[in-house]
Amino acid sequence: MRLEAMAITMPEVADHPNRTSFEGVLTVVDEASTRPPSGARGHRVILTREAARTALPSLLGMAVDYAPKWDGHDARAKCGIITEADVLGNQLRVSGYLFGRDFPDVMQQLRRSDADHMGMSYELADAHVADMRAEVWTLTRATFTGAAILLREKAAYRNTSFRLAASRCRSSSPQRERAGARLAARSGWRFEKQSFGQTQTRKES
Amino acid sequence: METENIFASLGESIERLSSAATLLERTVTWLEQREPVTAGAVEKMTAAVESQSELLERERELRRKLEAAEQQIAELRAQSSRAVAARQTLPASTTQLLAKQGISMVDSIQAGALDAALTGLSLEQRIAVKAQLLRAGMLTQ
Repeated sequence: MRLEAMAITMPEVADHPNRTSFEGVLTVVDEASTRPPSGARGHRVILTREAARTALPSLLGMAVDYAPKWDGHDARAKCGIITEADVLGNQLRVSGYLFGRDFPDVMQQLRRSDADHMGMSYELADAHVADMRAEVWTLTRATFTGAAILLREKAAYRNTSFRLAASRCRSSSPQRERAGARLAARSGWRFEKQSFGQTQTRKES
Repeated sequence: METENIFASLGESIERLSSAATLLERTVTWLEQREPVTAGAVEKMTAAVESQSELLERERELRRKLEAAEQQIAELRAQSSRAVAARQTLPASTTQLLAKQGISMVDSIQAGALDAALTGLSLEQRIAVKAQLLRAGMLTQ
């Protein structure tokens, strides 16, 4: 198992009324998308692990958005923020919080939705394609500019997911706590806490 | 006089071939210095399936590209047929040399048959005649 992680350390605010934690699988790496993403000119794409890992810093602090029908992106309807991103196995997992109080309709919809039905979709800029003539494009470099919550059937990757976390957002997400537990359980791992505004990174091969 | 013309023509052909080879060498160097030709970049991509309007737009774009490609193919075909028609003319001196050897109306001739027919000519003359026929696209292997 290989873990690459990066996070923004947020100050803890107990029971913050406008932070609702979420976690999800944004995409899978080193695997072809189930269907062609929008903007890929009909090609399915593979985001390489190396490209995803290199682009992790660009993902932190980016917003999550939604479209009214949950069928795509609306980059101007930002309802939350990504504070942590991990490449775990072949999954790029993210967590963060939604502005729960500002978007009660979104919260209502997400709480009502079956967790199996919701997924995520990345937004990339300046994606470098190794061979534009290939049937499946391999993305070797990219910058994340955001993400969307949408119906899983509308996502180009079938194996994405999205769910609201059980508790309100704190500085340590359940995902990070689990990762931390894994870190603590093994010798030779280093975990450094840094102050708000900085990022912390963990890596193990 | 005729032989001089033939040699001049042969020299001209060699010069053109030489300059073409130089250009090819330069092109190869330029291509090697560039990034892989097939690599590219996409300004924006989202991992959501394309909407109906995006699909229609892509279909329109593909149709435009297809029409442009078809038009280009038609133009290239027309150019090619004009070039073939233009190429199939031989200098008068070569035609005369061939006529002396009993070859009058030539559309195309095989290299072996030509060798047999030109036995009466000197080596230099044979080379010159073959070069002209090759240039005109009339000589086949």
